[in-house]
Amino acid sequence: MTGSTVGAARPSAALARLRPLVAGRRGDILLVTVAFVVLPPLTHHAMPRLLKGSDSLVIAQGVAMAAAALSLNLLLGYTGQISLGHAGLLGVGAFTSGILTGHHGLPMWVGMPAGAAVAAGVAFILGIPSLRLRGLYLAMATLAFGYAMEQSVFRFPVLTGGSAGVPLPRRTIGHHLLLDNAQFLALSLLVLLGLWLLDVNVCRTKVGRAFQAIRQDEAVAQAFGVDVTRYKLLAFTLSGAFAGLAGALYGHGIGFVNSETFGFQLSLVLVIIVVVGGAGTRGAVVAAALFFELFPLFIKALHGWDAIVGAMVLMFTIARHPGGLAGMARERAEHRRAREARRRAEAAGEEIEDAGKLPSFAIPTQPPRAKGVLLETSGLSVRFGGLQALDGASIRVPSGGIVGLIGPNGAGKSTLFNAVSGHVRASAGTVQFLGEDVSALPAHERARRGLARSFQLIGLAKELSVRENFLLAQHQLAPYSAGAALGYTPSVARVEASLDERAREAIAALGFERFTDTPVRNLSHGQQRIVEIGCLLATGPELLMLDEPSAGMSPAAAESLAERLRDLPDKLGRTVLLIEHNLPLVLGVCDYLYVLHLGSVLAEGKPDAVVRDDAVVRAYLGEAV
Amino acid sequence: MGRTVVVGIISGGIYGLMAVGLVLVYKGSRVLNFAQVEVGTLSLYAAWEVTTAHHMPWLAGAAAAVALAAVIGFLFERLVVRPMGDAPRMTVAVATVGLLTMMLALEARFFGPAPRLLRPPIAGLGVNIFGVFVSPSQWLSLGVVLVVGVGLAVFLRTTDFGLGVLAAAEDPTAVRLVGVRLSRVSTFVWVASTVLSAVAALLIEPTVGVIAPGALAGLFASGLAAALVGGLTSLSGAFVGGLVVGVAEAMVGRYIHSAAVPGVTALVVLVAILGVLLVRPAGLLGKAPA
Repeated sequence: MTGSTVGAARPSAALARLRPLVAGRRGDILLVTVAFVVLPPLTHHAMPRLLKGSDSLVIAQGVAMAAAALSLNLLLGYTGQISLGHAGLLGVGAFTSGILTGHHGLPMWVGMPAGAAVAAGVAFILGIPSLRLRGLYLAMATLAFGYAMEQSVFRFPVLTGGSAGVPLPRRTIGHHLLLDNAQFLALSLLVLLGLWLLDVNVCRTKVGRAFQAIRQDEAVAQAFGVDVTRYKLLAFTLSGAFAGLAGALYGHGIGFVNSETFGFQLSLVLVIIVVVGGAGTRGAVVAAALFFELFPLFIKALHGWDAIVGAMVLMFTIARHPGGLAGMARERAEHRRAREARRRAEAAGEEIEDAGKLPSFAIPTQPPRAKGVLLETSGLSVRFGGLQALDGASIRVPSGGIVGLIGPNGAGKSTLFNAVSGHVRASAGTVQFLGEDVSALPAHERARRGLARSFQLIGLAKELSVRENFLLAQHQLAPYSAGAALGYTPSVARVEASLDERAREAIAALGFERFTDTPVRNLSHGQQRIVEIGCLLATGPELLMLDEPSAGMSPAAAESLAERLRDLPDKLGRTVLLIEHNLPLVLGVCDYLYVLHLGSVLAEGKPDAVVRDDAVVRAYLGEAV
Repeated sequence: MGRTVVVGIISGGIYGLMAVGLVLVYKGSRVLNFAQVEVGTLSLYAAWEVTTAHHMPWLAGAAAAVALAAVIGFLFERLVVRPMGDAPRMTVAVATVGLLTMMLALEARFFGPAPRLLRPPIAGLGVNIFGVFVSPSQWLSLGVVLVVGVGLAVFLRTTDFGLGVLAAAEDPTAVRLVGVRLSRVSTFVWVASTVLSAVAALLIEPTVGVIAPGALAGLFASGLAAALVGGLTSLSGAFVGGLVVGVAEAMVGRYIHSAAVPGVTALVVLVAILGVLLVRPAGLLGKAPA
C-alpha cells in the first residue's frame, strides 16, 4: 500500500502527518499569507493611484537596503563580527547578476541566485581573517577589502566593463523583460520576505545560538561544543549570500551599476542602519533601513539637512545607547518586567535575594557511561612568553568522585584547566581523556567527548536568557545540519522541541522557573553559578571541571554548595575535578587532592594527609622562622 | 627607480602625518578614528572658502582649515567620546563612522558634489631631482612633515604631559598618579589628530588636484596601512610605515599600468593591511604583544 492511498483513505492521518510541518510555523504562514494578499494590489495595474511607478522604484531600493541590513545584522548583530566592507559583497552580487543577465542574456532567476552564490563564496574568503582578527582589527581588514573591491576589482574591464559599468536588465524568460517598477517592487518584497524567514530560522535553531555565543564569548562557545571556526565562516557565508541577493536586487532596481554604486559610503550607511536600529534585532534593522531610504522621499524640502541630522542622531544614539533604538526599548521593557516581578514576589512573601540554600542539581540528563580513569595528564606544560605557567603537571582523575586541585595564586590551576579543556595550547605533555589522546583536539571537540568546564568569571552567554543558555548548552545534542536548520525541517522542529522541553525541565529542577526568560546578567553571581553548573550537567558530561564555584557566594551558600557538590558523584554518578580556594569546602568534599605549586604537582593524596604535608604548608604559609 | 622613490617619499611623508593622527587617537583612546581624513576634507573646504571665495592668501586659508579641524576634534571628544566613558571600543569606533557621515553630509549640503580647486601654496615647476620635478608645494610638504614630526616627537618625549599621552592607554592609573589629567590627554589626542588631518589634507591637495566629498578616501586607506605597518602604537613607526606604503604604491604604480590593473594602489593597501594584520600584527616597529 502506498502512502498516498493511506492518506486518501484516512484524511485524519494525513492531517496528523501535516501537523509537524505546520508546528512552530504559524508566524511564517501568517506572514506569507499576508504577503500574497498585500502584494498584488501594490502593482499599479490593480491600483494605479496608490503608488506612482517612480515611488515603487524608490521603495524597492529601500527594500534592497533592508535586505542588505539583514545581511550585516546577521554578521554584526548576531555573531559580533564587524564588516566595514559590506558594499563590496553587495557589489559582487550585483555585478555577477549583471554579467549573466546583461552580457549573457540569462534571466534574473539565474542571475540573482548566482550573485548570491558568488558573494557567499567571496564572503567565505573574507571570513578567514576573522578567525584570527577581532574587533578593530577585523574592521580594518574588511574596510581594506571594501576599498580594494571598489577601487580595483569592480573596475577591471574584463569583469565589469571598467568605468562604463554593467547593465542589469530585468530579464524574465527569453527576451521578455519585467519592466514594471511595481511588479519589481513586489518581487523585491518577496525576496525580503524569504530572507526574513531564513533569518527567523537561523535565530530559533542552534545556528543562531552558536552565533550569539561567539559574539559574547568565544571561549564559552567552545566550552559548550560550538566549533567557532565553522560557525564564524558560516556566518560570513550566509551574510554574503544575503548581501549578494540584496546587491542584485539593488542593481536590477536601478538597471545599471558601476564601481561607484558600491563605494565605501554604502558600507558605512549599512553599519549605521544596523547600529542605530539595534544590532541583533531583525525588525528594528529592517525598519531602520526602510526609514533611512524612504525618509528623503517624503521630506524633500530638507535640502541635505536630513543627512546631517541623521549623522547627529547616529552619534548621540550610540553615545547614550550602544544597543541602538531596539536595545533602548528592550532595556525599558526589562526594567518594567523586573519591577513587576519584584512586586509580585513581595506580595507573595517570597524571598528575592539569594537564599542560603542552593537547589538540588538533579537535572534530567544522560547518565555517565565511562568507568576507570577518565582523565590523565602527563608532563603537561604551558608557556606564556617568558612565563612557565604550567611545568610538567601530571594528574589522574578516576571516575566517580571529586578530585580537588589546590595551590596558591599563580600556581597554574586555571592554566591546567585551560590546557585540559583545550582553551590554551600545551607546549609539552599529553592529555588523555576516556583513554584517548585528545592533546591535538580543539576545545569544542573535547567538550563534545564529555569534558565540561566552568569558568571563574561564569561561562554563560550573559545577554541570553536562562532558557537560551540551557538550549546553547545542548548544542552538541542537536545533530541536525546547518542547511536543515535554515529550512527548519520537521525533524529540526522536533529536535528543538525536545531541547526546549529538557531546558524547561532543568530550569524547573533548579527551581528557577521565574528566571526562565531573564537575561543571565540580571541574576546574582550565586544564581549565575547555579545556572552555569546546571547547564554543564544538561550536556550529560563524563567529567565536570569546576573552577572556583564558591567564589562570590555567601558563606551560607558555600556551605550548601559543599552538599550539592557531593551529590554530583554520590547521587548523580558524575565525576568532578574541582579548583577551590575555600579550604574547608575542599577538605569536606574531595576524595583526593592535588597541590599545585609554581606549575607542577607539589603533593597529592587523601585530603587530610595532604594538608599535613610540610612542603604544602610551606608553599601556602611560607617558611617557618 | 630614483624617480619613483622620490615620488613615494613625498606622498609617504603625508601618509605618515595621517598615520600619526590615527596612532595618537589609538594610543589615547584605543579607538580607530574612521573620520580622520574626512575632517581634513571638510577643512579644505574652509580653506577654499577663505582663499578662493574671499581672495585671501593661502596661509590664511590654511589657518582657517586647521582651526576648523581643531574645533571639530574638540567638540567630538567633548560631546561624543567623553560621555561614552568605558563603552566597548568598537562602539566608539562606530561613533566615529557617525562623524565621518556627518562630515560628508556637511560637505554635500554646503558645497555640493561638484569638485573645487584650491590654489597651490606656492606656484612653480620646482627643482629636478632624479628626473622628477619636485614642486615648491612638495618641498613645503616635506618641510612641514619634518617639522611636525620632529616637533611632535620632542613634545611627547620631553614634557610630562607628552609622556602622559604616550602612556595613557597602557597605564592610565600611573598617568593620573604623576599628575596628568586623563581628560586633557583625551582632548589633546583628538584635537591633535584632527589638526594633523587638516595639515595632511592641505599638503596632499596639490597632488590630488580637487576637493570633493570623500575625494581623499584613498589617503585614509594609505594612512591606515601606514599606521598598521608601523605597529599602530608607534609614532616613529607611523612615519616609517608612511614611507614604506608611499614608496610601495609608487613602485607598483610605475611598473603595473592602471589600464591593465585598475586601482593598483588600492590593492597595495589591501595587501599591506591584510599582510600586517595576519602575519605580523605588531607591525615593523610596534611592540610584540606579550
